[in-house]
Amino acid sequence: MKFSRLIVQIFLTVAVITSIVLSFFIWTNTARYQRGRNIDVTSAESNKNEIPMNQVISPTSVIWHDETEQHLIYNSNENISLSIQKVMQDWKISEPKQVSKKDGAYYQKIIQGKNMLQMVYPTAISINTFGYLLNNDSLKNDKSNQFNRILVNLKDKKDPNIYLANDSNYAVYKAKLKNASSVPLTKLVKKANINLQVRLDIMKHGVFTSYVNPIKLKTYSYVISGKQDGEYTTALFDSNTNGLVTSEDNGVYTYNYGESKRLVSDHNTDELTFEDYTDTSVPKNQLTFLQRGYQKITNIQNSISNLRLYSADWDNKDLVFREYVEGFPIFKKSQFGSIRIKFSRKGSTEHFLNKVLEVPVPSNQAATRLKSTNAIFKGLQRAGYSPNDVEDIEVGYQWEAEADNEKVVDLKPTYYVKIDSHWKSYDEWTNESAEED
Amino acid sequence: MDFRRIEVIFLIVFFSLDIFLFLSFRNSQQLVSSTSNNTSTVAEMHKRNISFGSLDTKSGYAYYLGSQPDESLAQNLQKLNNQKINYEEVNHMISSTLNDPITVTNADRKDVMNRFVQKDSNILFGKQYKYAPQLSTNSQIVYVRTGSLGEVYDKTAQLVFSVSDGEVVGYTQTYVDSMIILHEKQAIKSEKDVITNLYANSEIPNNSKISYANLAYTKLLEAKNSTIYIPVWFVTIKNKDSKVSATKKVNAFTGNIIKSSTNGDNYSAQ
Repeated sequence: MKFSRLIVQIFLTVAVITSIVLSFFIWTNTARYQRGRNIDVTSAESNKNEIPMNQVISPTSVIWHDETEQHLIYNSNENISLSIQKVMQDWKISEPKQVSKKDGAYYQKIIQGKNMLQMVYPTAISINTFGYLLNNDSLKNDKSNQFNRILVNLKDKKDPNIYLANDSNYAVYKAKLKNASSVPLTKLVKKANINLQVRLDIMKHGVFTSYVNPIKLKTYSYVISGKQDGEYTTALFDSNTNGLVTSEDNGVYTYNYGESKRLVSDHNTDELTFEDYTDTSVPKNQLTFLQRGYQKITNIQNSISNLRLYSADWDNKDLVFREYVEGFPIFKKSQFGSIRIKFSRKGSTEHFLNKVLEVPVPSNQAATRLKSTNAIFKGLQRAGYSPNDVEDIEVGYQWEAEADNEKVVDLKPTYYVKIDSHWKSYDEWTNESAEED
Repeated sequence: MDFRRIEVIFLIVFFSLDIFLFLSFRNSQQLVSSTSNNTSTVAEMHKRNISFGSLDTKSGYAYYLGSQPDESLAQNLQKLNNQKINYEEVNHMISSTLNDPITVTNADRKDVMNRFVQKDSNILFGKQYKYAPQLSTNSQIVYVRTGSLGEVYDKTAQLVFSVSDGEVVGYTQTYVDSMIILHEKQAIKSEKDVITNLYANSEIPNNSKISYANLAYTKLLEAKNSTIYIPVWFVTIKNKDSKVSATKKVNAFTGNIIKSSTNGDNYSAQ
């Protein structure tokens, strides 16, 4: 009798312990289960088909100062700037502190520093946007300051800092780096296969990249693609196209969606304008300004892998995006680049072109040899424009449609000069060729 | 009520509690596995009797490649021995009939043909081709052009032996000398992305097996006298009942499924 009672007691003890252990497992497991769900929610938000925002808002030129001189570098097999950004995502960057402001001499020293690798954005962005793109918390805290150059010293071990510099007010910000090594960056610099000697000149209207010697640049060809108006209306009018009113006048098609949205498509120039009168909220800070712009361009175009933010005018809430090839911007026939977005209290406006670079094609044209930037300034002076009139100067690719093949476009390098807020190619300003004889 | 009775009742109660806890523990574990979106798709595919090996989640990089028409085959025809050759200038293609057909079995055909291909007097540039079981059938043994940038699965760079009654009787060959990189490298979809996407688009039927998933370059279009190649995932799905295989192609840049045109020669750009 006693023996069977002992067995019952042992079983009871085992049963009690098992229930405790199982309860423990279930509790800890439920916790894991809920955490798992949270991860799922966040990953579902980032759509894998899209080009990430840090590719669109990205530095476009990389300048390396070796022991003696500065070079614009590029690797036609791998985008150096995107690769550097990937490396920087692992860095621990502390909160940036302002080092100087409005000091032109110090600014020149910084941007011409030896062993400095610098990446240049076409336009200034806020430091917290940069923090958002790198997913770095200490940078995210800096809400007001802007910059357009990132500089890192690759050789000096006593200078473990990242510098952020702003051309418009000569402000320089410095932030301590941890967990950063210069080795992967030096490797990327060495792999560059385009290497052009440059000098950074501080001029009246900003810092210009001057090519010291004549430069040889390749010509590119691309197959271009466009969409039917219907595909745009579906995407822009939130797919409900029942109440659509259409009118046509000399190849200019207008689509109205009630009183709230309108798309005007000019079939002669392939330019489209979309106005959304319901989108009346103006972005409250610079980060949401760029985020909303990015969302709009992904809605307009399927292929944005060549598209970069070209200018961000925070005061006028005006964004311009351009397509880039090998680190140089493409100037099409329009004044607004590829896409222009403007926010206002009356509604948002989007200008864009129905011609997108789709597939690169081997070009059968020889490389072009362009004059040095100095020679270009002299040519402008002969035509009556002083260097102080030049608001901006840039080597860019000209969009030339092929006569015998509508679907292929040739991209030829030339100098583009901005005078009186208008971008025109050098030969349009001067009637001279920018090519070296 | 004596104490022993209470003990027995407690034992029963705790024992049933244990069973309940154990069952709910197992349930919660199943829930965990269904949390992540992709894992649930994979689990769902297993449930529908779709079998496949482990899927690579790493997304790599690839290029747009271009090639110019090439006359290397035409220039080296005299090197070939023991075969009747016909060269088609339009397609830059050799069609050859072997004087001495080669006997092969299903088991040894890879080894036999690998040896045959190595010799320049048998096959021009044979060392640059590699056996591709995914493209081969009972009546055709297909070799594809390989290079430092990857393999090319395309009619413009292929070596196809025709097999008839266990004998290799002849072949056709096309060749691309060199590929040039047209654009900086771009991120591509991973194997797992591609297969879960195919499943989500009802391209993988129930009760089937994914026998191959290979990344290779294939012709996208011809422009300005050049051929443009893009990376494409070739996914072969075999029906377990009918044993019929079908190969799906997915653009590795965009993830779009490529529908072959009616003649099967061209792939439309999507």
